[in-house]
Amino acid sequence: MDNDVVLWIVVATALAFDFTNGFHDTANAVATSISTRAMAPRVAVGLAATLNFVGAFLSLEVAATIASGIVEADLVTPAIVFGGLIGAIAWNLLTWYFGLPSSSSHALIGGVVGSAFAAEGPDAVLGEGIVESVAVPALVAPVLAFVVAGLGILLIYRIVGRLRPSTVSRGFRLGQILSGSLFSLSHGTNDAQKTMGIIFLALVANGNLGPGDDIPVWVVVSAASAIALGTYVGGWRIIKTMGSRIIKMDPAQGFSAQGAGAAVILSASHVGFPLSTTHVISGAIMGAGAAKRVSAVRWGVAGNIVTAWVLTLPAAALVGAATFGLTRLFGEGAAGPIVVSAALLLALGAALARRVGAGRTLTAEG
Amino acid sequence: MRLAAVEVGLLLEVVWVSLVAGVAVTVLFSLVVLFGSRSAEAGRGGRSSAAMAYAALALLSFAAFALVVGYGVNVMLAKG
Repeated sequence: MDNDVVLWIVVATALAFDFTNGFHDTANAVATSISTRAMAPRVAVGLAATLNFVGAFLSLEVAATIASGIVEADLVTPAIVFGGLIGAIAWNLLTWYFGLPSSSSHALIGGVVGSAFAAEGPDAVLGEGIVESVAVPALVAPVLAFVVAGLGILLIYRIVGRLRPSTVSRGFRLGQILSGSLFSLSHGTNDAQKTMGIIFLALVANGNLGPGDDIPVWVVVSAASAIALGTYVGGWRIIKTMGSRIIKMDPAQGFSAQGAGAAVILSASHVGFPLSTTHVISGAIMGAGAAKRVSAVRWGVAGNIVTAWVLTLPAAALVGAATFGLTRLFGEGAAGPIVVSAALLLALGAALARRVGAGRTLTAEG
Repeated sequence: MRLAAVEVGLLLEVVWVSLVAGVAVTVLFSLVVLFGSRSAEAGRGGRSSAAMAYAALALLSFAAFALVVGYGVNVMLAKG
C-alpha cells in the first residue's frame, strides 16, 4: 500500500516535471519566430504545443531511457526517482523565475544522479554514461550550433544581400514557420520521452512492470498531454530572453538559428547522440548574431546563460540528494514523499502569490 | 564510477553532417527567396519568360529544401 502511494506520488511529480519542461522549453522552439514577428505569440505557442503533443507519440521506444545510462538501473527505487524529480523541478523553476534558458534534461540527469548517489553511494553512478550523454554534448552542441548558424547567416546575406530588405524579411518569416515547426516536433520526440522513461522506470522499480514490457498507453498520453499543456501555458520570460535579449534578430537570423539548431539535433539523433535543445538553440542564436556583428550579442546575458548551464547539473544533483535525505528522515514509507510534495506545493503557492503581489519580473539581465 | 573514452568518430560525424545539413537548408531557402523576388521583379517589368524561368528555379529550390527537411524528419523518427 505504502509502495503504491510512493509510486503515484512519483508519477504525479514526473508529470509535473514534464509540465515545467514544456513551459520552460517552449522558448527554444518559438522565441525566434515571435521576436521576428513570423508568427503571432498565441499562434506560435499553440503550434508548438500541438507539435510537442504529436512528437511525443512519434517515437515510443524510449531507447535511451534517461536513467538507464546514467545510474545503475538495478539500484533504482521509486524514492530515488522522486528525489531526482524534485531536484529537476526545483532547478527548472528557479531558472524559469530568473528567465534563464537552462537545460531540463540536464536538470533531470543531475537530480537522478544526486539522489542515487545519496541513496547508494558512488557505485550507483555511471561515470561513462554521464561523460558520453551529458558532458561531451554539453560542450560540443552549443559551439557547433554557433558555427553552423554563423556560417548560415553569412551565406544568406551573400545570396539575398542585394534584394530589398522588406522582400527578404517577408520570405524568411515564411521560412521560420517551417523551421520553428521542425524544432517543436523534435522537442516533443526528445523531451516527452524522458518523462515517459522516468515513469516507466518507477513502474519497473515498484514491480508493476517488467523491464521488457511495452510502455503503457496511459503513460504516453499523460506525458504528451503534460508537456503540451506546459508548452501552451508558456514560458514567456524565457521567450523574452531568447527572442530579444541575446541579440536583436531579423527574420533571416531567426531562420538561420532555427535551421542550424534543427540540423544539429537531427544529425546528433541520427547517430544516437542525445543533446539539450536549449543549449543548441542558445548557441545558434548567439552564432547568428555574432556572425553579423560580434557586438550585436549581449555577452553579459549570454554569460548568465552559460553560468546557468554549468550550474544546472551540480545544483540539481544537490537538491536531488538533499530531497532523498529529507524523505529518508521520515522512514522508507510514503510519509517522506508526502511531506516533501506538500512543502513544495506550499512554497510554489507562496512564490506565485508574492509574484502576483509584487507585480514585477526578474530577468536574465537583472 | 567508471570513465571511458568518448566515441570520437560519432562526434566528427555529427559535426560534418550538421555543417552540411545546416548550410544546405539555409542556402536552399535563400535561393527560394532570391528567385522568388527576381520572378516578381521580372513579372512587374513585363518580362514574362524571365519571370517564368525564375519562378521555376524558385520552385526547384523549394522542392530541394523540402526534400532535405523531409529527410531530416525521417531521420528523427527513425531514431527510436
